[in-house]
Amino acid sequence: MAREIAWLWWAMLGGATALTALVLVLLAMAFGPPRAVRPRRWTHGLGLWLSMAVLGTTLAGGLWVGERILPRDDGAIEVRAHARQWHWEFTHPGPEGPVTIRDELTIPAGMPVDILITAEDVIHSFWVPQLGGKTDAIPGRTNRLRLTADAPGRLRGICAEFCGLGHAGMRFDVRVVPAADWPAALIAEEASE
Amino acid sequence: MRWLGLSLAGPAIWAAGFTLVYALHGAGCAQGWTDIAVAGAVSLHALLLWSAWLATLAAGGLLLARLLAAAPKAPGLVRALPRAGAWIGLGATAFTLLPVALATSC
Amino acid sequence: MTDATADRTPAEARAETLAIPANPPQRALALHRALDRVWRNDRGWWGQVTAVNHTTLGLRFMGTALVFFAIGGVLAMLVRTQLATPGGAFLDTELYNQIFTMHGSIMMFLFAIPMLEGLGIYLLPKMLGTRDLAFPRLTALGYWCYLFGGLILLAALLFGVAPRDGWFMYTPLSGATHSPGINADVWLLGITFVEISALCAAVEITVTILRQRAPGMRLTEMPLFAWYMLGTSAMMLVGFPPLILASVLLEIERAFDWPFFEVARGGDPLLWQHLFWLFGHPEVYIIFLPAAGALSTIIPVMCRTEILGYGAIVAAILALVFLSFGLWVHHMFTVGIPHMALAFFSAASLLVAVPTAVQVFAWIGTMWKGRPELHLPMYHILGFFLTFVMGGLTGVMLAVVPFNWQAHDTAFVTAHLHYVLIGGFVFPMMAAAAWWMPLVSGRARIRSLGEAAFWLILVGFHGTFFLMHLTGLLGMPRRIDVYPDNPEWIWLNLTSSVFGFVMTIGFALFALDLVLQAVMGQRSRRDPWRAPTLDWSLALPTPSYTFASIPGPRQLDRPAGAVALPLARGEGLLPGAPRPRRELLVTTVGDARPDHVALLPGNSALPLAVAAAIGSFVLLMLAGFYALTPLSLVLVAVLVWCWGRGLVRQGDAAPVEVAPGLSLPVQTARRRTLGWSGNLCLLLANGTFFASLIFGVGFLSLVAPGWPAPPARAADAGAAGWVVVALLALLVAAICARLADARQRNGHVSGRPALAGVAGNAVALVAIAALALLHMDDPTQHARDALRGVLAGYAALHALTAGGLAAFAWQQLRRGEIATRHGGALPTWRLWQDFAAATALIGAALVIGQEALG
Repeated sequence: MAREIAWLWWAMLGGATALTALVLVLLAMAFGPPRAVRPRRWTHGLGLWLSMAVLGTTLAGGLWVGERILPRDDGAIEVRAHARQWHWEFTHPGPEGPVTIRDELTIPAGMPVDILITAEDVIHSFWVPQLGGKTDAIPGRTNRLRLTADAPGRLRGICAEFCGLGHAGMRFDVRVVPAADWPAALIAEEASE
Repeated sequence: MRWLGLSLAGPAIWAAGFTLVYALHGAGCAQGWTDIAVAGAVSLHALLLWSAWLATLAAGGLLLARLLAAAPKAPGLVRALPRAGAWIGLGATAFTLLPVALATSC
Repeated sequence: MTDATADRTPAEARAETLAIPANPPQRALALHRALDRVWRNDRGWWGQVTAVNHTTLGLRFMGTALVFFAIGGVLAMLVRTQLATPGGAFLDTELYNQIFTMHGSIMMFLFAIPMLEGLGIYLLPKMLGTRDLAFPRLTALGYWCYLFGGLILLAALLFGVAPRDGWFMYTPLSGATHSPGINADVWLLGITFVEISALCAAVEITVTILRQRAPGMRLTEMPLFAWYMLGTSAMMLVGFPPLILASVLLEIERAFDWPFFEVARGGDPLLWQHLFWLFGHPEVYIIFLPAAGALSTIIPVMCRTEILGYGAIVAAILALVFLSFGLWVHHMFTVGIPHMALAFFSAASLLVAVPTAVQVFAWIGTMWKGRPELHLPMYHILGFFLTFVMGGLTGVMLAVVPFNWQAHDTAFVTAHLHYVLIGGFVFPMMAAAAWWMPLVSGRARIRSLGEAAFWLILVGFHGTFFLMHLTGLLGMPRRIDVYPDNPEWIWLNLTSSVFGFVMTIGFALFALDLVLQAVMGQRSRRDPWRAPTLDWSLALPTPSYTFASIPGPRQLDRPAGAVALPLARGEGLLPGAPRPRRELLVTTVGDARPDHVALLPGNSALPLAVAAAIGSFVLLMLAGFYALTPLSLVLVAVLVWCWGRGLVRQGDAAPVEVAPGLSLPVQTARRRTLGWSGNLCLLLANGTFFASLIFGVGFLSLVAPGWPAPPARAADAGAAGWVVVALLALLVAAICARLADARQRNGHVSGRPALAGVAGNAVALVAIAALALLHMDDPTQHARDALRGVLAGYAALHALTAGGLAAFAWQQLRRGEIATRHGGALPTWRLWQDFAAATALIGAALVIGQEALG
C-alpha cells in the first residue's frame, strides 16, 4: 500500500515541478515589449485543455491506485484498534482467543492485515506513516483499513486527528514479526504485559 | 436579464445532479440497495446511480443544444455566457460523476 | 429589464438606449460644499459612532482586520516558538491548544473575511459610479457585529478561556462532555456574531453591483473586480448559512442537551463535519475571488494594456462559484466514506483547478500582451504567482484520494493551505494595498521600504512553509506541541521557526510602510497609475459623497483621468445636493438604464444599538442566563422596528430631475426598491439555512448509527390537528398579504387584510406552541425529536417575523403612509409571508414523511 502511494507521489511531484517551471518561464518571458497574442491560446489552450489533460491523467492515476489498495473480502487477518483519550487498545485474533494489548500492535510481515478502527469518546485517527494512509476512529462507526508490512521490524504509530490535551502523546508501537512467528509472538507479548 | 438566469442554468443542472447522485449513493449504501438485484447482475444501487448520471447529462446536453441552436442575436457575453455555463455544467457532470462507472460503490 | 438585442457595439447600444442630455457645468467647489454637508460624518467621536458611509466603514473594516492579522500573526509566532525544539516547554498543552485554535479562527473569520468585505465596501461604489452602498446602516451594523464578536474572542483569550478544540471545532471533542467550560461556547457564539457581518456585507454588495452601476455600465462590461465580488457575495449568501446552522445546533446541544451530534442518542459527529466543510471549502474561494479581482484590475494597468479574455474570466468565476460547493468532502477523505463517494469529490476537487488555471493563464497572457512595469504592486503579483501556483499544485495532489490518506492532518496540509491563502490572498492584498493607498491616503509612498518588506516576506514565507511539506511527508501530524521521539523533525521545525520570524519582520515593515505613507508621504497626484476605472477619477483622498455627479454613458468610454473634471463640475447625472438628503441612482440589472432615485438614510447610532442588543444576547448565553435571553430578542425586535420606521420618514416623494428633461421617480413610488432586492438576497441565505436543516434531518435519518428512533408520541390525531391549524393560518396570512398588495396597486388602500395577516400569524404561533408543549416528544431524548424541535422553532420564528411585517404594514396603512403609488412594507411582507408558509409546509411534509417511512 505504501509503495503504491509513494509511486503516485513521485509522479505528481514530477508533474507539479514541470508545471511550476512552465509558469515561471512564461512569466519571465512576459517581461519585454508588447506582443501580439491570441487570447484563446491562453484561456482555452493552456487554461482549459492543458489543465484538463493533466487533471484527467491525475484522476485516472488516483482512482487506479485507490481501487488497488481497498480492503477486499479475502479473509485477511482482522485486528481491532480501539481509540480513547489518550491511548489505543489493539485486539488481535490469537490462537486461544482474542489478545488485547495496550499501545502495541503486532502484525505478521508480508500478509495483508485489516485494522477495524473504532473510538470510545472523541474522534481519533489511526496512522502508521511507514505503512500507508490513515483512517479516522469515529464514535459509532467501525472503519476498515488494509495494511501490509513488507519486512519484520519496529514501527511507530500516531494519532493524526486532534483529540484534546493528550493528542501529541497518543502514540503506539507496531511490531512486525515474521509471518511464521505471528500467533506465538502474541502469546509472549500478552504474558509480558 | 434572462441571459443571466440562463447562464446559471448549466452549473445548476450539475449541482442538482451531483447532489442527487451523492444522496442516492449515500442512501443506497446505508439501506443496502447494492444487494437488491434488478436485472441480472445489475443492482438497484448501480441502476439508480447510472440513471441519475445519464439523466443529468441529458438535461445538460439538451440545454446546450438549445442554446447553440438559438439564433445569435445578442452581442458578446450576453450570448456567450449562457453557452459557457452550459458547457461548464455538462463538462462538470461528465467529469465529477465519472466514478459511477469506475469506482467501487460501497 | 430586457437587454438590447441586435448586433451593435456596446457603445452604439448605449448611445441609442441612453441618449441622456448632459447637465450644464457648475462651480465644482459649490457642489462639493453642498454635497459634503449632506453626506459627511457627524463631527468628533460621536461622528465615528453614527457613521454609515462606505469609505469610512470600508477603511475601518480593513484597519480592524489588519489589527486582527497582527494578533493572529503573534499567535503563529508563539506556535513556531513552541515547535522550534522537540520538547518545547514554552507553552503548556492547554494554552498551546487555545493558541493554535485562535490563530486559525482569527485569520479566517476576523482577518480574511472582514478584509475582503472591507475592500468590497470601500471600492465598489467608487468603481461602479455610485455614491454609497445600497444599505449604509447595514454596513455599520455589520462592522459593529464584527468588532463586538472579535472582542469577545479576544477577551476569552486574555482570560485563558479561549476556544481550544481547533478552528474546525469537531464534535464530540467540542461537545459538553469533552469540552466543559465556556471555551467552545465562545467560539460558537462569537463566530456566529461575526458572521452576521458577512451576511450584511454579502446582501448589500450583491444589490449594489446589480442595481447601482452607473447608467450605461452594462453587466457585461463592468470592471472585472465587480464580477469577482458578485461571485463572492453570492457564495457568501449560500456558504455561510450551513456553518451558522451547525453552530446553532451545537450551541443548543451544549446549552440545552438536545442531541444532534451525540451518537448514543441518534446524532452523528459527521453531521458537524459535513455542515462545517459545506461552508469551509467554499470559504477558500470566497477568500480567493476578491484577491483575484484585485489582480485582474491591477495586472493590465501595470502592463499598460487591457485584460486578456474578459469573457473567459467571467465564465471561470461562474464555474468557481458553483464547483467550489462540490468539494467539501475532500476534508473528510479519512472518515471512512466509500471509495465511489470519495472519487466524486476527488474529481470535483481536481476540476476546480481548471477555472483557476484559466485565470492564471489569462493574467500571464495579459502580461505578454502588454509591457510589464516592475513597480511595487508587480513585485507582490510575482510573489503571488510563485506561491499560489505551488499551493494550487499541492492542492491537486491532496485531491487525489490515496495521497490524501497519507498527507491528511500532517504538516504537508499546513504548508499547502498557507501557500494557497498567503499566496492567493495575502500577496494580492499587499499588491492591492500598494495600488490603492494613494486613493485612501492621498499620498505617494516612501521609496524602497515596500520592496524590502516584500523580499523579507517572500523569503521568510518560503523558508517557513516550503520545508513543512517535507516535515509532513516525514510523518509530523498537525496540532502537536511536543515531539520528543522524532529527532528527524528537529532541524526542519527549527528552520521553519527561524524563517517564520523573518516573515513576521517583513509584515511589520509592511505595516510601517503603510503608516509612514499615510502620515508623511508626499501628496499624490490624481490618478497616479493612469487607470481606466472610475475610482481613479475621484479627488484624493476621496470625498464623503464619492461622486459630485453620477457618471453617465458620456463618461464611461473615457479614461478615468479625462472624466474627473466633468464629473466634479456636475456634468453627469443627479448633480450636487439641491435637496438636503442622500440621493443616488438605481439602474436596471442588465443594461443599467436609470430606473429611480433612491433616498438613503443619514448618519445613525441605530446600527450600534442593534449590534449591542445582539451582543447582550450573546453575553447572556455565554453567562448561562438563558431565561433572560428573550429580553435581548425583544430589544432587537423593537430596534429593528425603529430601523424600518426610519426609512418611512423620508420626506418629499416628488420625481427628481436627474438630467435635463429626464425625471425619475423616487423609491417610494417603485415596487422593486433596493430594499426589496436586499430582502430577496436575505431570503436566499435563509433558504440555504433551511435547506441545510433539511439535509441534517435526511442525513441523520438515513446514515446515523443510532436509528431508527424510539416510537414517537407525536403521531397522534391531536398533533396532526395543530399542524393543520398552523399551516392553514400561515396560508391565510399569505393570501392576506397578496390581497393587501393587489388592492394597494388597484387603488383600494385598506388596513383589513394586514390586520387579518397579523391574526393569521398569531394563530400559527399559538398552534405551534400548543404542538410543542402538548404533543411533541422530549427533544433531549433523541436527535429526531431535537430536530423536530428545531423545525418547530424555525416555523415559529418565521411566523413571528411575518407577523411583525404585517403589523408594520398595518401601522403604515393606518397612518396613511401607504398610498396608491406607494406600497410601503407590503411587498416585503408578502415575500416573507410566502417564505414562512412554504418552509412550514416543507418542514411538516418532512416530519410526516419520516413517520410514514419510519
